Amino acid sequence: MTNAKMPPPPPPYTGPGSPQDVPPTPGSYPIDPDTLPEPIRNEVLAPDPVAIDTSAPELKDGLNRCPKCGATDIRHKVGSDLLVCLYCRNEWDGARVEEEFGFGTGLDDLSGTIMASGAGDIAADAVNLMSFKCSGCGAEVTVNTQSQMTARCHWCRHVFGVNEKVANGAVPDAVLPFHIKKDDAVARIRQFVDKRRMFALKAFKEEFTPENVIAVYLPYMIVDGKASVDVAGQGEIETRRYTQGSGDKQKTYYDADVYRVGRHVDFTVDDLPLESSSERGNLDTGANTNNIINTILPFDTKNAVKWNASYLTGVSSEKRDRDVAHLRPRLEDQLLSIARAQVQSSVSRYDRGVRWEQERLDVHGTRWVSMYLPVWLYSYQQPGGKGSLLHYIAVNGRTGETMGSVPVQQWKLLLAALTVGSFLEGIALWILGNAS
Amino acid sequence: MSDDGGLWLLMAGPAGATGLYWFLYRHYRNTDKSHAFEHETAVEAKPVTGSDEKIGQVKGTRETRIAGDNVGAYRTRVQRHGDDTERGK
Repeated sequence: MTNAKMPPPPPPYTGPGSPQDVPPTPGSYPIDPDTLPEPIRNEVLAPDPVAIDTSAPELKDGLNRCPKCGATDIRHKVGSDLLVCLYCRNEWDGARVEEEFGFGTGLDDLSGTIMASGAGDIAADAVNLMSFKCSGCGAEVTVNTQSQMTARCHWCRHVFGVNEKVANGAVPDAVLPFHIKKDDAVARIRQFVDKRRMFALKAFKEEFTPENVIAVYLPYMIVDGKASVDVAGQGEIETRRYTQGSGDKQKTYYDADVYRVGRHVDFTVDDLPLESSSERGNLDTGANTNNIINTILPFDTKNAVKWNASYLTGVSSEKRDRDVAHLRPRLEDQLLSIARAQVQSSVSRYDRGVRWEQERLDVHGTRWVSMYLPVWLYSYQQPGGKGSLLHYIAVNGRTGETMGSVPVQQWKLLLAALTVGSFLEGIALWILGNAS
Repeated sequence: MSDDGGLWLLMAGPAGATGLYWFLYRHYRNTDKSHAFEHETAVEAKPVTGSDEKIGQVKGTRETRIAGDNVGAYRTRVQRHGDDTERGK
């Protein structure tokens, strides 16, 4: 019946399905789920963990609410680090870097490369291990800034953190504290995996313990930019469509007008997040599952607060190891992609499509802020020499957006595919047999 | 039933098997997902300007789209030229 050919090889890094491709819109399926067998359809259509939408329109305001009354009429109390609610006069600490350093304003006037102090270049001789003299008892305490930003003095139990800027890239400008609690993160991971059980690797299902999820602050550069992009190419508009021949030999032909198309767009980008760790920035889906952590972006970075190591007490962190210069090619690539998305609606009259051939980017100004963003991370190491892969399930610590990679049991997947294929082939043969 | 139509119908089995395999593989492994920064970032763009100039005609092609259509493939880079980018300022 069906030819028992091997499944197609996994996608290469730049090929279809890699993060180099534009991701599918959420909720869209390449195959209509209604055509699938019922057990598979039920699993696929089960609800996803709910995420709070922080897409562009919501990001613009970045509302900071009074924790007491919920009002948003909030002002900085001059002469202190406190905020005051003008409605109920409640005061609290929460210096958002957005207002503190004016990161949300002046996008139109950006010029040159502006770096916040925490986004400066990492010194070549910087070390990860830092020694501090405990201010409580005078003992020497070492903090490994690779993964921790606070430590407890083992003599006097005094807790202190790395608050001053150090040249090893470990101290960012701002931090976005966790909002999603552990119980919530565990529930979301469980819900996510429950949608993907039928063909999951048996060992994964047996060892699945979402309670082992860890809270981690990952390093990002949050970039504002002002740029202009020119694109040029050719577009075609259909003028005539006709068929020739008859019966089975009938063929459709098209006539079209060819146009040379050029577009120019000036735009500003607010708070574009870029991974500032070389390991996390490597989105090779053949070798790792870092694209999972990339997918739970964006965060409501408007609400980030000024760096204070106390936020990281008991939470691990990853250290930044990429400078602005390293990330600039990635930024340029994303700016070009954004511009191409922006001009798409202006070429909609080319109903046979447009082939862009050249593009030109002028970056007028950029502003870089380094930030620690909160992620709940569950990981599973898939065993097996060459097929070994570290699978992540990640929950956005602010919005709750959940994404993950669940290892598959290949033979089960193949069996299901072959069964459905055989069934379809059976119908096809039946139709052919009856027709002749 | 013609040979042509019959051949297409016979492809239904392998095509369905391959399609389902990839559909489920991506549903579990999510290798096609990434941050949709084109739409999830706050972008303020001035009105798009540009030029459209007719340079020729195509007659009697059987292709339904222009060759190399990349209008929706934002992330596929094409030839860069004449950048005036402020590098290392």
